[in-house]
Amino acid sequence: MGKAECFWEYRSQRLPVSAPPIIRLESTFFPKALKYLRLIFRNVVRNRRRTILTVLSITMSLFLISTLKTLLDELENPPTTPESARRLFTRHKVSLGVMMPLAYREKIRSVPGVEDVTTFQWFGGIYKDPANFFAQFAVDADRLFAIYPEYKVDDAAHIQDFIKERTAALAGVKLAKKYGWKVGDRVTLKGTFTPFDVETTIRGLVDGGGSENTYYFHYDYFNELFNNSGQIGTLSIKAKSAEDIPAVIDSVDSMFANSTAPTKTESEKAFFLSFVSMYGNVRFLVMSISTVVLFTIILVAANTMAMSIRERTAEIAILKTLGFTPGQVLAMTVAESLIIAVAGGLLGSLGARFAYGSVDFNELSQGFLLRFVVRWETILMAVAISTFVAFTSTLLPAWSASRLSIAEAIRRRGE
Amino acid sequence: MIPLKYNFRSLVVRRLGTMMTVGGVALTVGIFVSILAMVNGLENTYVNSGEPLNLVLLRKGSQTETNSYYGRSFKGIVETMSGVQAVSGEILVIINHPRLTGEAANLIVRGISDKTFELRPKIKLVEGRMLKTGLREVLVSRSVSNRFKDGKIGDTIHIGRTDWKVVGIFDAARTPYDSEIWGDYGDVAQEFDRPIYSSLLVRCADQTSLKDVQQKIIDDRRLQMDAPRETEYFESQVGTAAPMKVLGYLVGIIMAIGSCFAVMNTMYAATAYRTREIATLRVLGFRRRNILLSFMLESLLLALIGGALGCLFALPMNGISTGTANFITFSEIVFQFRVTPRLMLIGLTFSAIVGTLGGFLPARLAARIPIVRALRTEV
Repeated sequence: MGKAECFWEYRSQRLPVSAPPIIRLESTFFPKALKYLRLIFRNVVRNRRRTILTVLSITMSLFLISTLKTLLDELENPPTTPESARRLFTRHKVSLGVMMPLAYREKIRSVPGVEDVTTFQWFGGIYKDPANFFAQFAVDADRLFAIYPEYKVDDAAHIQDFIKERTAALAGVKLAKKYGWKVGDRVTLKGTFTPFDVETTIRGLVDGGGSENTYYFHYDYFNELFNNSGQIGTLSIKAKSAEDIPAVIDSVDSMFANSTAPTKTESEKAFFLSFVSMYGNVRFLVMSISTVVLFTIILVAANTMAMSIRERTAEIAILKTLGFTPGQVLAMTVAESLIIAVAGGLLGSLGARFAYGSVDFNELSQGFLLRFVVRWETILMAVAISTFVAFTSTLLPAWSASRLSIAEAIRRRGE
Repeated sequence: MIPLKYNFRSLVVRRLGTMMTVGGVALTVGIFVSILAMVNGLENTYVNSGEPLNLVLLRKGSQTETNSYYGRSFKGIVETMSGVQAVSGEILVIINHPRLTGEAANLIVRGISDKTFELRPKIKLVEGRMLKTGLREVLVSRSVSNRFKDGKIGDTIHIGRTDWKVVGIFDAARTPYDSEIWGDYGDVAQEFDRPIYSSLLVRCADQTSLKDVQQKIIDDRRLQMDAPRETEYFESQVGTAAPMKVLGYLVGIIMAIGSCFAVMNTMYAATAYRTREIATLRVLGFRRRNILLSFMLESLLLALIGGALGCLFALPMNGISTGTANFITFSEIVFQFRVTPRLMLIGLTFSAIVGTLGGFLPARLAARIPIVRALRTEV
């Protein structure tokens, strides 16, 4: 049985021939819309191959847009916790490349609104080969967990082991897995900006909040190797509450404003964002790519709808003969396109959410991204884009088709 | 073989569908080539930069000039080595400075010596005058001048604790030096209270003495230095482009698959509309493989037109200046998009792959159309 026959059989069985009223389009369309759903759905699956190819093409594009949007989200709006919202970083005002006197740590500790403070010295050493890059920090071992309670150590006793021993270190669980480290292993990091190497012993494994790909050792040990020069690149501060942050920034920076080493204090989020902005205008790049991709989808969808509508010109004429108004024909075509586009949008964005669920981006990006999760708002955005695509791609071909006079349409017969 | 004219005319007859498909491929190729142009421009900054007879002396293990430092006495040791023509002792400091757009980035401030320009003959002072020692004057590269605040001649720029006067603009011929601010060595060392050298740039007499000097420096236990050639030193930083490359290929591959589906759609429709035509061609004596080839070529033609258009779209990107972070030196690197013939060829090849993959299944279907049944269809 051919498709046209199918359509006729369906039409004669399910819809009373006299049913669709010619008038009152606006007021009657929506309640009656359900009646047409099957007709619309039949049209969607009528050329299955075309529908599938179009859906897949839109899927790929929205997979890409969802990926880019997620990249932007994770860079600009990393997940915050009540703990991270209370933290700040202080560095030398000139840049992270210039260090401050260690005495700043105790001066900052006495600032009203400050609960705790630790050194947080970037080390950037090389483990065996420069390709083995991971973040390393020299910290105040006894203060670290007060300021970063989200870091979890494999065994509570290991925290004490780490604090007690001058050359002890904590390794992120993922680093340990990657390099085959166990508690008790000795790890040597070759200095890059320092003329010395640090030789440490792993006393515990740490997980959570980004620590899983980081290596921690004692600042005191670092300082000793550094001829006790008492220099510090970054101090991590915990405020008593998130509301204290502006006041703490003010007090700290004005305290050192006229010294030989003025400071710049920022919230943890602002501190991370400054790294993102170093990458250049990522937002503009992502927006430009997404806009081009959007145009591509519109072209693909419009091509499909134009093909479908052209093949159906005669049928549209018949629908009109049966009493469908141009508005109803138009609405039915848009609905058809909507189903195809939204299916693609959902497949693409949910596919991205699913696909990235099993990839460790924290490790892939060497700690630059904490995580990579396609958020629900991104999926909503994908559906919104699909809806937009459905309307823009259908309106022109459908509008011209719906205006065609019946006689002419029947004469055309799917050219 | 069925003449190409047949395919070309077929594309013209279905011009709306053709245009939309071509447009889709063009946008895909355009964005792919544009990102590659960005990667290419950035990589090109590091490749072929530096003088072949120069060595960069760094403290052992430090890897970059920004990490390196050593005592000033080392300069004398190197200067007296045979085969060494000139040595420029320099200091590097990173400052955090706002771009014109507001957000801040790290910039390298290099304290230069009287040998700095001599050892880097490609770098020219293009505007203003040379800086004078002891007056806290700086030269700014043209790229930095166009991209950062306070970078014009006559501006004062805040470095360290004091204000410095911009007196000249230099052009470093698209090398990484184009991302720097240059002040006098003594002034910079004093400002930051660092009586050290970050690096020594050493000019050797010829290639043989260069190898000789390199060996002597590495072997000298007093120095504890690495001595890469200036060219190698910059090439070691080419990995800065890696994240961009990943982004480019990710976008390229995903969009290519999407475009394949779109081309397939168009070609399936072309097959469907021309069922009778195909059967007629068969009756006229063309073989199945002729039909297959003809439809493959049509799909290829469609994609290649898109590819060529895409390359054209990407062309205006050439020369646009932008910047990103070099996380090895921890500072901003300014570079220009570079659309080269090689990239355009990559774009065309890319579109050809899309056309071939997208056209194969529809072409095979066309080749398999049963003649008698096809002639009876009434489209």
